[in-house]
Amino acid sequence: MIAHQVSIFLENKPGRLEKVTAVLKATGINIRAMTLSTSSSGWGILNLLVDHPDTACQKLSQAGHPAVLREIVVVSMQDRAGALHDMLGLLAQAGLNIQNAYGTVLGDNKEAILIIDVENAEHVQKIFESAGVQTLPAEDVYRI
Amino acid sequence: MYWKPEIEILPQPQLHVLQAQRLQDTLGRAANSPFYGEQFRRHGIGPEIIKSVDDIRRLPFTTKEDLRNNFPYGFLTVPKQGAVRLHCSSGTTGNPTVIFHDNHDLSSWADLVARSLYCAGLRDTDVFQNICGYGLFTGGLGFQYGAERLGALVIPAAAGNTRRQIKLMQDFGTTAVHTIPSYLFRLHSAFKEMGLDPRKDTSLKLFVIGAEPHTDEQRRRIEELFGVRAFNSYGLSEMNGPGVAFECEYQNGLHVWEDAFLTEIIDPDTLQPVPDGEEGELVFTTLDRHAMPLLRYRTRDLTRFLSGDCPCGRTHRRLDRISGRTDDMFIIKGCNVFPMQIEKVLMRYTEVSTDYLIELETVDGNDEITVKVELQKEWFTGNIEALEKLSRRIAHEVRDEILVSPNVRLVEPGSLPKTEGKAVRVIDSRIP
Repeated sequence: MIAHQVSIFLENKPGRLEKVTAVLKATGINIRAMTLSTSSSGWGILNLLVDHPDTACQKLSQAGHPAVLREIVVVSMQDRAGALHDMLGLLAQAGLNIQNAYGTVLGDNKEAILIIDVENAEHVQKIFESAGVQTLPAEDVYRI
Repeated sequence: MYWKPEIEILPQPQLHVLQAQRLQDTLGRAANSPFYGEQFRRHGIGPEIIKSVDDIRRLPFTTKEDLRNNFPYGFLTVPKQGAVRLHCSSGTTGNPTVIFHDNHDLSSWADLVARSLYCAGLRDTDVFQNICGYGLFTGGLGFQYGAERLGALVIPAAAGNTRRQIKLMQDFGTTAVHTIPSYLFRLHSAFKEMGLDPRKDTSLKLFVIGAEPHTDEQRRRIEELFGVRAFNSYGLSEMNGPGVAFECEYQNGLHVWEDAFLTEIIDPDTLQPVPDGEEGELVFTTLDRHAMPLLRYRTRDLTRFLSGDCPCGRTHRRLDRISGRTDDMFIIKGCNVFPMQIEKVLMRYTEVSTDYLIELETVDGNDEITVKVELQKEWFTGNIEALEKLSRRIAHEVRDEILVSPNVRLVEPGSLPKTEGKAVRVIDSRIP
């Protein structure tokens, strides 16, 4: 099963991010990782990896935020020099463009995961699998 | 076919005779007001100078400034006790403008609104929901009494509380609605949020929209969304309010009720009449108002007369949709810009809503124009590139339209300030 992140359109203004986190707090949503990409024209997109993306997206949408679920590929990486490079090499070879990627280190500090936002997640997952790179199934991602 | 056939299909030459008579009467009454009394004495004006309607040009213009300077009673032709109602503008700077009516005026106004609504297709079998501010705003009581005069069942729903509006529509089988165009878009989102389709889940068939500048594209979009025909209404509080000019079933311009309003279109600079069919400023003279007649009142609204006869058979001339106002035009980087031009571009994009805000600022000594527009929730895909491309495309098209490059800023849905009645579209904070 393909995992999802929640992407939210935000104006780049004081207090906007806080409005989003308020909704998540009220719903008891736990954030695992996040990035904020900003455009030069005053707005940005907040990407969140959360424990219950469906609920989070629905609640945010109800609160008036433009929010969608986007497919992601999540890879666990060994904590060693060059691990990221090797993996990105696979995508570059396949001619795939990454819209966004962000990482987080797991609780025991032994393992890192990389969250990749690409247009065709299923395709990317297959590329990784055939190269022997381990991708995390959705249920594991949400349980991180 | 007609509410008042003896007036609505009266041939123009006879209409002119009626206008000249009524103009004479109006001058006779106006002389009783402090303002016109003094003006007439100064210029040697009296009813006898009117031989034909063209003699209107021998009278001076009346402006909003005149109304403000003679606030509150300077234009009253009767003692205060003779007036029965007033409506006034919402102006917060300086004196508001106030209009007084006696019983004759209210009755005449109701009849004009009834005529207008009938012209758009409203009948006594209809249920008419009036979604606009009551009170000082003329759209509330104006349409209320007009639709009652026509015999429709009127729901004085007033503004706001969208879910309740929808409930009223469903409970009473509303067939016709009057409101401002921007509200209809909000209403439509509310229908969607409630899982309802106004095309199937209501009995709506007729909208009357006005009080807010809007484009024909906007009207067509409203008609498509609701599966309802929308008719343009024109009025201004100085000329009672609604019921000055209205579209008929052919939706090809607004018939201006020439028996009640002597209508001129002038060049706002030279103050001379423009050649027929050319755009200029609308100027009205009331022909059937007793308590507070106004002579050659400059509306600041820009439009033109449409040529040719209307297939509906009404002889009253048609005005084009108001293209702007002489005073909402702004100049930036040497270019004259009407907000309507920008609105027209935005209307082409379903990705953005119809609420927008134009901000004019001075940044590092340069004047900049920023167009803020709300992203439609359902168009958001999480793709940053798509949004950047959308802003660029809009900016490019606006530039083609107004000849100045704007910053286009997408903002969150519902984040732009909403105002009751007329929406504020331009905020000018430039350093002069």
